[in-house]
Amino acid sequence: MIRLLEFSNHALFWYYLASNISYLVMLIVALKTSAVHQRRLKSHRLEWYKDSPLAPPITIIAPAHNEERSIRVAVRNLLELEYPQLEVIVVNDGSEDRTLEEMRKEFRLRPVRAVYIPDAKSAPVRGLYRSQLNTSLLVVDKEAGGSKADAVNAGLNAATSPYVCIVDADSVLERDALLRIMVPIMADPKLVVAVGGIIRVLNGSEIKGGHLQRVRLPRKSIEVIQVIEYLRAFLIGREAWGQGNMLMIISGAFGVFRTDLVRAVGGYRSQAIGEDFDLVARLHRLLLDKGVDYRIHFVPDPMCWTEVPSDLKSLGRQRARWQKGLLDVLWPNRDMLFRPRFGRIGCFALPYLWLFEFFAPVIEITGIMTIILAACLGVLSREFFLQFLLFGYAFATVISIGSVLQEEITYKRYNDWQDVARLVSYCFLEHFPYRQMHMIWRLQGLWQYLRGDLAWKPLKRKGLESAVGG
Amino acid sequence: MGSIFERLWRVGPAALVAEAIVAAAIANGVLLGFILLRRWYRKRYFARRDARVFELRKEWDRLISGEIPYETWRQSSFDRRIVEAIALDSLEAAGAEESARLLTFLRKSGLIEKRIFEARKLTGWRRMRALVALGQTRALEGISALAQGLRDRDLEIRLAALRGLGRMACPQAAEEILAWVGERGLCVPALPLQSALIQCCAERPQLLIPYLQHAQGPLREVLGRVLGEVATPSLSLDLLQFVGDDLDELRAAAARAMSQAERGLAFDVLNELVRDPVWFVRLRALVSLGELCDPLAIPDLLVGLTDSHRLVRLRAAEALVKLTVPMISIFQQVIATRDRYGLQAYLTALENADLRGKLEEELQAGAADSKEEKETLLRILQTGVLRAVELAMAESAPPKTALLS
Repeated sequence: MIRLLEFSNHALFWYYLASNISYLVMLIVALKTSAVHQRRLKSHRLEWYKDSPLAPPITIIAPAHNEERSIRVAVRNLLELEYPQLEVIVVNDGSEDRTLEEMRKEFRLRPVRAVYIPDAKSAPVRGLYRSQLNTSLLVVDKEAGGSKADAVNAGLNAATSPYVCIVDADSVLERDALLRIMVPIMADPKLVVAVGGIIRVLNGSEIKGGHLQRVRLPRKSIEVIQVIEYLRAFLIGREAWGQGNMLMIISGAFGVFRTDLVRAVGGYRSQAIGEDFDLVARLHRLLLDKGVDYRIHFVPDPMCWTEVPSDLKSLGRQRARWQKGLLDVLWPNRDMLFRPRFGRIGCFALPYLWLFEFFAPVIEITGIMTIILAACLGVLSREFFLQFLLFGYAFATVISIGSVLQEEITYKRYNDWQDVARLVSYCFLEHFPYRQMHMIWRLQGLWQYLRGDLAWKPLKRKGLESAVGG
Repeated sequence: MGSIFERLWRVGPAALVAEAIVAAAIANGVLLGFILLRRWYRKRYFARRDARVFELRKEWDRLISGEIPYETWRQSSFDRRIVEAIALDSLEAAGAEESARLLTFLRKSGLIEKRIFEARKLTGWRRMRALVALGQTRALEGISALAQGLRDRDLEIRLAALRGLGRMACPQAAEEILAWVGERGLCVPALPLQSALIQCCAERPQLLIPYLQHAQGPLREVLGRVLGEVATPSLSLDLLQFVGDDLDELRAAAARAMSQAERGLAFDVLNELVRDPVWFVRLRALVSLGELCDPLAIPDLLVGLTDSHRLVRLRAAEALVKLTVPMISIFQQVIATRDRYGLQAYLTALENADLRGKLEEELQAGAADSKEEKETLLRILQTGVLRAVELAMAESAPPKTALLS
């Protein structure tokens, strides 16, 4: 028993070490990549693309479900994006509130008979509307499909452009976000099949007329911690994975895909919990199966600002859902693991996700239990235990501060000293008790998935029109 | 000597952890220190820069006219960078007269010469910066330095030089780019090359023809697409040689360019290309036909409306909607195709152009032959459904030539 505990503690140590070292490597890769990206941008002049006849047309698909409070602002924001050839499709996914009426009034919608070819599975469509004020706006009114995937598929069926950009209706895109996210595609349209943009936390910032006026850090601790999490996930994780062409997730809140390829994989999987992750995994599978040379990019500067949960209950639900989504994609794609045919994805990205994302809460909780047990049995060196805790704490802090540094040297959206000081303080504070709570939420998600509880529970949001900063 | 893993194992977790804590703590300190120092430095730098920009702006007219001797600011790299940035930004938005004045200033002050020197002699990012600045000046004397940049080993430098030449937007720059692709082939992504060539060849598109005749593979496609964008009526005969080309892209380019050709020739060629086996060639041909805005194109556009590819149908419908002939006659012909997909595409295009109401009004006004026919047409317009009766009616519809008149 004691030997087993010793072995378990040792295994936990090496697991932590490997996990932290991999994050450190990603931090270094990300710092280098974004420095190169920044310099590369200096030879691009985005305004040259604004009227370029070569900019491929894009259809933005924005699913909306019960968004009456923010839909007007959100759609106006999308229509004002800088891009030469743009079509905006808003999918009203069986809203029970006045979402459609709000749009009808604001954009003078009239029923139309637009082309709708049901290539991707979706709930029945009730009607199609086009704005009389701006003909590039099409609204698809459909019965509730119970998932974002279902709504996006309806938009996909009505899209007429070679590229689709999938966004959340309650997110705020910066005006040049589309131009920026299209830079890799315009540089090499044959190779680049999808691009993900960065998602930033909107809470706390000032918005006027759907546009971001001033970026501020939110007031609540729970929101500030999510700011750090998002910085870490996007500016370190995705930047590094994207650099190695192993990006597995393009956030559903902001990503561009080649329309024909999304259609080729049947659109989003309606029943998928993590539909964005699932789509990218299926794209990788399709292209690797065909032996096609391709790239899925991450671009860190086209920014999409989104509202994150501001209470523990909503946050817990969201994280549990993410964990369910992770398993929901990893399990069906387990046949890709360590298969040379699937290259880096099968041999590197997926094993990493299994080991350091999926199993992390299980290993962490088992580790804590064995440590407690070892302490009870008197086989744990108290000194080593403390050192180990300190090590974990200090190392994780390096990664978090690294992500703040990355934001500082590249995009620098938090201009106030006060905000940066708070951000850095939370890099030290987030590890207790937030991290442990996060682990429990993820375990809950896992348990719910195994029990078959896959229902989507809505999160509490304030909406764009309300004072987000309040 | 053991492997790194063996050594790590021998050191043991306890010693490793102790060392890691120290390392992590130092790393935290360094990172924090760096953030703070950088913020402090940037704050000072921008405050200083802002103050200096304000001073230089106040004297701007005297500065660019040379009243203030250039030596007073050229000696300091800080001032030089500011002056150059202001001049280049102003150049972007300046009219012809102001551009000429700024360019004279850039020449006389030696800023262009300096950038040419840097573009030739420096390497890496500094060379890239010089190439970008040269492109922004649009000064012809920078072309040869930019052309040299095209031959750099680093892709980013080549791209910067290419974009710079694109900004020049003149035949001399086009000649340099074409000579380079003729010599090296396609060694940059296609789109930036296309973009630069479109800008530079607009004045003299015939520059492309000899290169296109000798180019192979993907480069030929790129040049074909550029030709499609920049072709003028004077090139019609040159373009004919590409109508039967094996390369789909080139046929598409010829189709696109035909919208600029002499009408008689364009109709003959496009009539052939709307029946091409490749969908995007048909699409380009239909778009060109639409741009001709001529009722003679209606039969071919109706063929496009019954195409198997939905984008082709959509473009054909858009072209039909743009025509200035009576809408009822076109609507009748669309119904006569008896193609439900085609009808849907036409109705979509009508609605997108906000012309459905107008057609409805025309139908209500009684331009149709009989009351029954009018009601049928209105019903089809409102429901978008072709029923058996309507199909029969479509069959008995007057011949297309009659409708055209």
